[in-house]
Formats: sequence, structure tokens, C-alpha cells
Amino acid sequence: MNGSACRKYMLWIDGVGAWQLCVGESFVIGAPSLDHESADIALLANVSRKHATIQRNSTEWRLYAHQPTSVSGRTIADSGVLRSGDQICLAERVKLGFRTPCALSSSAVIDFESDHRPSHSLDGIILLADHCLLGPRRDHHVWCSEWPEMVVVFHQDGELRCRSKAALSIDGHIVCDAGLLRHGSVLTSEGLRFRVEQVE
Amino acid sequence: MKFTFAPEARPLDGYTIKRAIHRGGFGEVYYALSDAGKEVALKLLNNNLEIELRGVTQCLNLKHQNLVTIFDIRQDEDNDHWVVMEYVSGRGLYETLRDYPKGMPVQEVLNWMTGITAGLSFLHDRGIVHRDLKPANVFRDHNAIKVGDVGLSKYISESRRSAQTQSVGTVYYMAPEVARGRYGREVDVYALGIMLYEMITGTVPFDGQTTAEILMKHLTADPDVSVLPKKLRPVISAALEKDPDKRTKTVEEVDRQFRLAVAGENISAPVPLTAFASAAPVQSVDAQRRSHEDTVVDIEIHPERTTETNATKNAITSLGTYWSALPAPLQWVIGGAVALLVIESGMLRPVAVGGMIGGAAYLGYQLLTTFTREGQPVEHGTPTNGEPPPPQRTNQPAMAKDARPARQLPPAELAKKYRPAVYTPATARTISRRQRATDVSTSVSMSLAAAALVTTAVYFTTDLLADVAQAVYFGTITMLAAWTLIVPSKLWEGRSGDSFSRRIVLGGLGLGVGLVAALLPKYLLIDRTALFRGNSSAHEYILGRVNMADGSGFPTIACFMLFFAALFSVRRWWWQIDSFRKSRFRVSSALFTLLMGVIVASVLQQYAFPDSLGATWALAISAVVQLSAGWTPPEDRRLWPLNSPPQPSADATPQQMVNREVTSLTQA
Repeated sequence: MNGSACRKYMLWIDGVGAWQLCVGESFVIGAPSLDHESADIALLANVSRKHATIQRNSTEWRLYAHQPTSVSGRTIADSGVLRSGDQICLAERVKLGFRTPCALSSSAVIDFESDHRPSHSLDGIILLADHCLLGPRRDHHVWCSEWPEMVVVFHQDGELRCRSKAALSIDGHIVCDAGLLRHGSVLTSEGLRFRVEQVE
Repeated sequence: MKFTFAPEARPLDGYTIKRAIHRGGFGEVYYALSDAGKEVALKLLNNNLEIELRGVTQCLNLKHQNLVTIFDIRQDEDNDHWVVMEYVSGRGLYETLRDYPKGMPVQEVLNWMTGITAGLSFLHDRGIVHRDLKPANVFRDHNAIKVGDVGLSKYISESRRSAQTQSVGTVYYMAPEVARGRYGREVDVYALGIMLYEMITGTVPFDGQTTAEILMKHLTADPDVSVLPKKLRPVISAALEKDPDKRTKTVEEVDRQFRLAVAGENISAPVPLTAFASAAPVQSVDAQRRSHEDTVVDIEIHPERTTETNATKNAITSLGTYWSALPAPLQWVIGGAVALLVIESGMLRPVAVGGMIGGAAYLGYQLLTTFTREGQPVEHGTPTNGEPPPPQRTNQPAMAKDARPARQLPPAELAKKYRPAVYTPATARTISRRQRATDVSTSVSMSLAAAALVTTAVYFTTDLLADVAQAVYFGTITMLAAWTLIVPSKLWEGRSGDSFSRRIVLGGLGLGVGLVAALLPKYLLIDRTALFRGNSSAHEYILGRVNMADGSGFPTIACFMLFFAALFSVRRWWWQIDSFRKSRFRVSSALFTLLMGVIVASVLQQYAFPDSLGATWALAISAVVQLSAGWTPPEDRRLWPLNSPPQPSADATPQQMVNREVTSLTQA
């Protein structure tokens, strides 16, 4: 249950916002650290550096509490199952929403419900299980209301890729099937554009 | 959405753009990080207009927790101005309203109102009027409500007036006196009133299909307060008073009255207020419409207010849109049935001839378009003093890291959420005399080429015209008819006037064209037998004193005059000629004219009138007028000429325009 296995990306989406995409099996929630490795979900909050861990098992998401944590009012002694719509409360003041908006995907979305945030503005965090959907429907992981078509982002062979019905181009090159998203890639299509950054 | 700058661009030293936030009313807004990591919003001000930055400079050092802080104004290498300001995260009032299509809970309304009032009150206290208060300018960062675009409003209103690109979104919150150029703090009170109404009910009180329609409602219609909780009705009504002198004086007073009205009230009781609390907020059709497209046919919010005229108008409009709404296969079935009817009724020949002319005219369309685009010095919405039109934004490909994109001036008003309204020939608008004269002369000269083209098409594709002399005759009459229709139609353009009297005028002019058509063969020494293919029914027919058929088998002068008079009055020709017609050349419009021509000609056939010639004329005239009359592409349509903002003393005041709009809408 170490955050080091998690790869983090930033998606800077024009007209939509900034989203963090976490790829891995388990994700540590905690405070940022200057000396040590920061938590995967690092919040400027009065919480421990490793306050809780969200882990995906084959069928479910579980939260492991290392410090006082509750889920939708239930105090978590050791671990508990997370369901879509749960509110995770850390150290009584930090509130995060947990949801799996899309029936076709087990990827989860973490929303900030109290005003605790990472050190720069983020609209939300996606915990990537299989793939995540960015598109015009509310049940997509990232709701991009003005987009004409959905873009699927997925992780394959250690790399981030994307696919869409719309004609995509990455850094000006047209994507035929699945496009490879590297650090600094700018994906564009009719009516949409976003940049991917890998976060160290 | 296309933006000028790519991620990682550094238009200003010290700031790196990370993403575009949105395109606002007067420029693009980006999220950027300073080299040290400070989040800012960078607002690029359009520089294609004269900049009024004094207002911004005045507000540069204003500090208030409910106002978005402006850090600085900077100029980039291209001398474009950027406003560096506080980045406000979180969902703004605009987005929040979309979550509550049936209205927000009162507590939520109070939260927003408190922040807005505090910010506005601070501004008003310093003698500053916001002028552009609207949900898209109100933000919430965590729990702090912040009003944005402070001090830019003068800049915005100036640029908007000169660019004449008001989109529907900007007029929902516009006080009636703004049309007269009055900008007191009452305009902010009014806008707050509209926003409160919208927050409570989920819809704005004055909605419409076009900017002018909404403006007209601001000027004349009373807001429907019956949907509000009873105690709030007088509060909102007072804030939405048409006369700024009778309106609630200050925003604090609106706030005070509002609180008083909801205090102690069972705030969950009234219908609009209970609608909240759905776990998954949905986007209403209405909100979607306002946010994405303003091009759909407007649906009255309050049906009980729909007048009979409006109902008729809607019926006609819906009939018109009905065809395009039909699935393509069904259109083919109906089309086939009509074709069968045509064949069975012996109309095959004129229709076939018409089809060929239509096809030929359409083929020549591309050629003509290129020609007319260059040959038309003035189109509505393009500068009249020879300046090049503002370039259209093109697809901006992804740019290499740190690459400086080739700058293109963004359109003045391409609001993210609002698109320009649909302008039709019924839309009243101001057209300067010079513009009108140029339009008429261009259209008339264009019709020469168009008539020649169409006549050539008829000559070569049909055996209707036996020799060149007949072709000259056909072409001359077609061109004369086109001129007769174009000149008055262009003079009527943008003006109100009832359809009936226009038809009478055109019918009268048609008599003249008919006279020429009847007399010209004599002077051109044309063999009438060949041209008119004398009808076999050679019996005389005299109607009163008018000799409709003289028994010779050839049509009489009266017969010709009647044909053109009827043809000119059965169609609303000015719709085919107006710059705001749907497309430059509409095949459906031409075919419908053909159908009318067929009907008129077949009625007159009994008086020896040549039906094929008549029907072909109908189609040819329609093709010629459409091909030659000046046309403004929808994206360039403006209600006022670009360089002459509406002045009270100008051709028409907004009030007059609005009145015209009402008249023309009811007539449409």
C-alpha cells in the first residue's frame, strides 16, 4: 500500500478544468511533504502525510484508514468498502466525494467537497481502474458539456492512450486507432483540446 | 471552441498558459501559472477595437472580497492588452443555474445575493456602475461570491456598441434604458432583479428568439411574477421597473426587501422553490437551449400570454420548419407523390423545364458566388469604409511547446455560451442609405449576368425558345421582372410593412411587366406562333371591358398583365431577395415559385396563355433574383451597420427598431 506505484498525470482541459489522473492499484491520501514523497492525493490540509489509502480490488474499491477517517458517517476502524456517492471525511474537516459515475467503467472520481485542495487548483481526481471517459454526458468521469464526442483515456502496457469516435490528433499528428499520450502531448479534435502532463 | 493560444504558450513574460478557461464576451480567458507557481486568469482584450482602458485603470486598485481582483494590465509583444487577475476556481452562477433548471432553494439564492450585493454596493459607493452584470460574471470560490469584469464594463459596452455583435446572452440582463444609452446604477439593480428571478424560477423573465425580441420585452412586457412566491412578487417587480426613476434605488434595498420577504416564510412551500434538492441535477431543455444554441424556434415561456397573432406566426413557422424536420425518406415519399401528381395533371413539361433551369442555375451558383463575393462592396455587417473585415478564427492546430501562435483577431463577441440569434428577412434593422443604394445597384447589375445565365440554360436545355430572338425576349422579360422585384424589395429590406400592401404594390408593378412582355415581341419581330404556340381553343373571352382572349389563339395584353400581376403577388418575393434570407439560393423556394407559376399559367391557359413559358418564367425569375440579390451569410448578420452604432438621432432608435421588430414578427 505504497503510493510509489501510482503514476500521476495532469489533464489541462480547455474550457473544462484541470483534472488529475491517477493510475495504479492503490492511492494514498495525505498532506504534501517537502522532504518525503507526497501522497498521491496531496491536500493542503491538517491531515497526516499518509492519512488513508484507497485501493481497488478486483470488484470493489476499499478505503484503508491510517488516521481518523469516516465514510458517509461510518467511522472506519481498519478498512471499509467505498460505494459511489460516499463522502470520505478525514480528520473531521476534510471532505471528499467518491463516485463511480459510469456504469461501464469502475474508474472512480474524487471530488473536493470541503474547501481543502492540493497546492494548485484541481477540479477533481480520477482514479483510473480500466479507462475513463471524458465527454458531453453527466455520467462521464469528466463532464465536458460542450464537447461533441467522448474521448476514452486508458492505460495499456504502462502507457496512457486515448481513443475516440471523433478524429483526434496528438501534437498535430492524426490518430488512427488509439493514440499514445506522453508527457506534454496536446490532444485536439473538433471543439476540444487538452494537454497531458506527467507529474513527478 | 478554438483558442488563440496553445497550452504552455507564454504571451506575457513570467506567465505560462496551462489551459483556456473560456471565451468571454470580449476576449479569451486563460488559466496561467506565474513562474513561481501563482495561479492567475489572463484575459486577452480584443485589440481590433479602440480600447478604453481608463475605466479599468480606475478599478485596478479596488479591493473587495466580493470582487474579482485585478492584479495588473499588461501588453504583449503584439501590443495586445491582457488583464492579469485573480483566478477564481469553482462553479460560477451560470453553471450553478444550469444545475437548478427549476430554481434554486432560497438559502442558495440568499448566499449568491449577499455576495453580489456586497460587491455591487462597494462599486456603487465609489461611483462605479458595473453595467454588465450577468450570471457568467458571478463566481464562487469556495464560499466567497465574486463579481468579475469590474471596470471592464465600460470597455465591454463600448466595444459591444461599436461591434454591433450583441448576442442574445448579453441582453437577458439589460435594463430598458440601456437602449437609450443611459447607464446609471439602476441598470445593475435591474440586472440583479433579473438574476434573482432566474435563480428562483430557473428561467429569465424575458426570453426570445432574437436580441431585438428580448429588448422589446425589456421595454414593453411585464415580467410574469405569478411564478414567484407571493411575498417576493413586489420585490422583483420593483427591481424590474421599466422606468429607472421608479425602480428600487439601490441594490442594498433589493437585498433588504428580499430578506424581509423570505424571513419567516415557509420557504419550501411555493412551487418554484420546492423543485430543488434532486440529487442529480438535470439540465433543462431551456437552459441547454440558452447555453448551446439560440437557433431553435422559440417556445413561449408563458403560453397564456401568447396572442392570436403570435399563435398564427408560430403555426406558420412550425409549418415551415416541419418539412426540414421530416426524415429524409419521408421527404422522398412526399416528393414522389407530388411528382406523380405533376405528371398525372399534365404539368410534366413545365416542371421538367423548371427542373433543368433550376439545376443549371444551381450549377452556376458557385461561379456566381465567387463573383458576387467580390462584386459586392457592401454587405451588412462588413465595414463600410473599406477596412478589411475582421478575419474569421480558423482552426488552430495544436502548437509546439512554447510556440508563438500566429495571432488572429478574435471575433468581438463570440460568447462561449450564447450564439447570435437567428436573423430572418422579418428582422427589422437599420440599413444606411448608401448601403441600400449599393445593394440595389449591385443586385440589379448582378441580375444581368444571372438572367443571361438562366436564359442560356433554358435555351440550351429545352426547346422552349426556338431562336436567339426568342431567347433575347425571354431573357429581357426575365431581367425586367427581376429588376421590378429587386428594387422595391431592397427598399423594403429591414423595414416593417404589411405583406398585403407589398403584394398589391408588386402586383401593380407586375401589370407593367406584363404590358412590356405583351408588346415586346412586336418590336423584336418575333414569330408569335412559334413562341406562344397558339392555343387551339380560339374562342373569344371578354371579361367586362377586358379582352382576355381575342380568338386568335394568342394571349392578349390583358392576359400577360394578369399573369405577371398574379405571379408577383402570390409570392413574398422580398423574402427571396432579402439579405437575411436563409441561404443565397434555395432550390425549394425556386421550386415553390415554379409551382405557383404553373398554377397561375394553367389558369390562364384557357385564354391562350402559353403555360410552359409562364411556368418557366416563374422559375427563371426566382432563380435570377436569388442569384443576384445581395445576401449576408448568417454569421455576418448584424442589426446595425458596423461603424455607426445606434444613436437616438440615427436612422432609427432602438425603440423604433424594437417596434418594427414586433410589427414584422407579427406579420411574418
